[in-house]
Amino acid sequence: MGAEIPFDVANIPGPETGEVVAPKVIGSYISSAKRPLLVVGSEILRDEFFVELAIELGKKGIPIAATGHSIKGFVEKGYCENVQYYNLHDLTNCLRDPNWAGLDGKGNYDFVIFFGITYYYASQMLSCIKNFATDPLVRAVSIDRYYHPNARMGFANITPRQEEEYKAMLNRVVGSIKRR
Amino acid sequence: MDEIKKGDLFSIAGLENVKISIGEIVEEEGGKDWEPMGPHPMPRIATLRDWDFKLLNRYKPFYAPLCDMCCLCTYGKCDLTGNKKGACGIRMDAQHGRIVLLACLVGCSAHCGHGRHLLHDMIKKFGRDVPIDFGPEVDVEAPLTRLICGIKPRTIGDFEQVFDYIEEQLVQLADALHTGQEGSYMDFESKALHMGMLDSLSKEAADIIQIACYGMPTSHEGGGPNVPLVDVGIGTIDTDKPVVLVIGHNVPPAADIGDYLTDNDLEDNVELAGICCTSIDTTRVYKKAKIASALGRQLRVIRAGIADVVVIDEQCIRADIVELCQRTHSPVIATNDKAMHGLVDRTDDDPDAIVADLVNERVPGVIILDPEQVGEVAVKTALQMDKKRRKLRFILSDDEFKQYVNECTQCGNCTLACPNGMRIGEAMASAASGDIKPLADMFDLCVGCGRCEQVCKKQMPIVDVITKAAYPQLREEKGRMRIGRGPIWDSEIREVGAPIVLGTIPGVIAPIGCGNYPQGTKDAWLIVKEFAERNYIVTLTGCMAIDAALWKDEDGKTLYEQHHGRFDGGGVLNIGSCVSNAHIHDAAIKIASIFAGRKLRGNYEEIADYILSRVGACGVAWGAMSQKAASIATGFNRLGIPAVVGPHSTKYRRAFLGRADVQDDWKIIDASDGSELYFEPGPQHLLVACETVEEALPMIAKLCFRPSDTDRGRSIKLTHYIDLSQKYLNTYPTDWHLFVRSATDLPIAKKTELLKILEDKHEWKIDWKTKRILEGPIRGYDPSFNPTNLKRLVRERK
Ligand code: SF4
Ligand code: SF4
Ligand code: SF4
Repeated sequence: MGAEIPFDVANIPGPETGEVVAPKVIGSYISSAKRPLLVVGSEILRDEFFVELAIELGKKGIPIAATGHSIKGFVEKGYCENVQYYNLHDLTNCLRDPNWAGLDGKGNYDFVIFFGITYYYASQMLSCIKNFATDPLVRAVSIDRYYHPNARMGFANITPRQEEEYKAMLNRVVGSIKRR
Repeated sequence: MDEIKKGDLFSIAGLENVKISIGEIVEEEGGKDWEPMGPHPMPRIATLRDWDFKLLNRYKPFYAPLCDMCCLCTYGKCDLTGNKKGACGIRMDAQHGRIVLLACLVGCSAHCGHGRHLLHDMIKKFGRDVPIDFGPEVDVEAPLTRLICGIKPRTIGDFEQVFDYIEEQLVQLADALHTGQEGSYMDFESKALHMGMLDSLSKEAADIIQIACYGMPTSHEGGGPNVPLVDVGIGTIDTDKPVVLVIGHNVPPAADIGDYLTDNDLEDNVELAGICCTSIDTTRVYKKAKIASALGRQLRVIRAGIADVVVIDEQCIRADIVELCQRTHSPVIATNDKAMHGLVDRTDDDPDAIVADLVNERVPGVIILDPEQVGEVAVKTALQMDKKRRKLRFILSDDEFKQYVNECTQCGNCTLACPNGMRIGEAMASAASGDIKPLADMFDLCVGCGRCEQVCKKQMPIVDVITKAAYPQLREEKGRMRIGRGPIWDSEIREVGAPIVLGTIPGVIAPIGCGNYPQGTKDAWLIVKEFAERNYIVTLTGCMAIDAALWKDEDGKTLYEQHHGRFDGGGVLNIGSCVSNAHIHDAAIKIASIFAGRKLRGNYEEIADYILSRVGACGVAWGAMSQKAASIATGFNRLGIPAVVGPHSTKYRRAFLGRADVQDDWKIIDASDGSELYFEPGPQHLLVACETVEEALPMIAKLCFRPSDTDRGRSIKLTHYIDLSQKYLNTYPTDWHLFVRSATDLPIAKKTELLKILEDKHEWKIDWKTKRILEGPIRGYDPSFNPTNLKRLVRERK
């Protein structure tokens, strides 16, 4: 696959940029995490499918930080198990601190999955994680319809015409996650 | 009454005689020795470093690099990814502190440069001795100047020493940016805070000078809450008349245009309209002026061809202004040496010769550097160009529109270029099949940058296509706002000091700054509406003040028409242009000085400490765009006022975030006995971004908590915090319990429900008979608690 351009075309951070991969690669990468965290943003509210997909991930035992006003979607679906509102700035600040207790009090995460967050805000927070959450390493991927150069892995830019294809890709990510 | 021990939890019942010591009202003394000099007059870089480090240790700088490299010297480029060091030894975090300092330098220079320039012009025009007299209700005329410089300005000439001080400090701070100087991100941030403070001082000086010289509203008759309303919006400009359009931040040329119109009886024949802060300031000096738009509509107002002449001064002007204006045959007059745009300087030339050159389009524009010479040329040019331009058409025809939307291949290039990622191709396709609504809806979401057009392979004038789709609504863009009122009156501060410090007016919300919104101007309106209706005081300046005026309720009224303009609960105040937002700092300072009797003179640290601990104020720069916005926010922050910003602001690369979960960050001193105690995270952050307005609303309410809140005030603040969370996030906030000190802090209507949650979810111990909290809170409520972060303020135990 050729080099992908960032969704915001000038958003080129520097020498280290993320890889564009297939859904199942992301799925198995997520499977390798000890303590993964799903971070969702307000864009998941644009279609119930995305909220339901997040809930599916939640049901696989991946805790969810609902940033922006995305928590609304979960409350409306009556899913409150594994999900908590967090401001994304605040959350990212915590993620770079190895001593952070996490949402459940059991410690920081080694892996974060960004999903449905306004592109440029997500990009900046991924940049913080890439540059400052390095000891121990927090790995970050994106499963958005955007190419995110600051994530370690993600998809290429997806046009509105490819929406159905995108949904299928997300289903493949979920399907290929194997968790104990 | 039983003695209340520190940390004890108790109910307020039966304590009606408790005296709360928040200081008494002090009267300003006249004369030379108006106040003893405080410890820190004209602070230098290191003077207030201890205060900065107190802030920075609680609200740690957070960096989100926009670029992982440093490209500033020829050792480099250096790759700093992963907090690596560059060739000079600087790390990524310090490099970003450096970039933030640089941004604040640029912003502060804009305010200081503008202020000095203005002072220079005003001294030339009126002399040094124009008195600073804000009328009977304003004795403390220049709180920031008194606080920082230790002087009380009596005439505009007194500000020369203020600018001398600022400029000297600016150079010292700029020096710190050089390779091989500062290496610590904490020290870069301390310097940025120093820069922010200088920025606020520059703004105060600039606004006071223009108020004094042009008789802008103060507490003289017709000022303050009673300032008149003005028309706002593209639809309010009468294009049947010749139109002079002013853009920028420096009012003297526009004031001269107003004078020329008045002197020549042309007020009803020519429209004087503006964009950005100059327009706000023009309405403060010339009654017939109108506000065409804020920053976000600049490109579109120019493209719409409204202007028969465009007069630019400084700041927030598009760099391609001359090229844009050539397309619409609108001659440009540049009036400021900081923005000359390649034009020829014609200052002192014969006005009629200049007009002839402009009208015959022999030159696209001219420079006239003496503001007093602008009026005649601008008005005469507009009168003649109006006749010439009448037959021209600038909005696309129906056929052109159809042709364009059909030509779009939906390649998506525009989306990748658009800062808001707008899916324009999709909207074009829908317009091609007959539904123009998606395109029309983009008019307000678009921030008007024009980047989309640069990349369209079909060379589509995308901005014009969107404008055409939205034309009916654009013609109806007609709002009203109060003209900028300038200073908050001392008498108003006396009225509201207690309710603000006690928390019964839950906060002062200050929506300020540019128009780089994630979801359009309606969010600006919503923020103001929510807080004004909840009895907060809402003080606006700059573009947000303009944008909030564009929307109306069902009865066709804007927020300025629905709400009073007093500095009191429920007020919606347009303070003025960007430089006027110094008066918002000033209001907070005056609460400490007039209401609580703290000495101002040279006493920055103590006043900032008071504000941080007691004044529930929160800035909101929802569309912050420029470097000035960075230095403005940083100035608020050093004074102890937090700010919430929109998601685009994460590109400023730095935030100041508190950690509610790190107990040791939340220690404060009780000045009455010197004891230290843990307290709730109020305010939790100094600078934080939210993704959406729905998230921002409860966050703004949260950042109004202060350790000094009384139980009544805390219960009001909690009511709004919880209510806004439920309204916009459909849920309770996750952290509301952190702010509960005793059962009397709880909103009365929800008390039982909330006590139950505290018991079930947070395992607090509740005595259900008396409905008291026995165990659980971070600290108990103590009405005589006297919070401070400064050890030197500890009074001896009586
Ligand atoms: S200033 Fe330092 S980090 Fe920047 S390019 Fe030069 S050596 Fe590299
Ligand atoms: S860049 Fe031009 S052709 Fe491509 S989608 Fe945008 S408007 Fe259409
Ligand atoms: S002009 Fe509007 S639509 Fe075009 S790139 Fe800028 S914000 Fe997007």
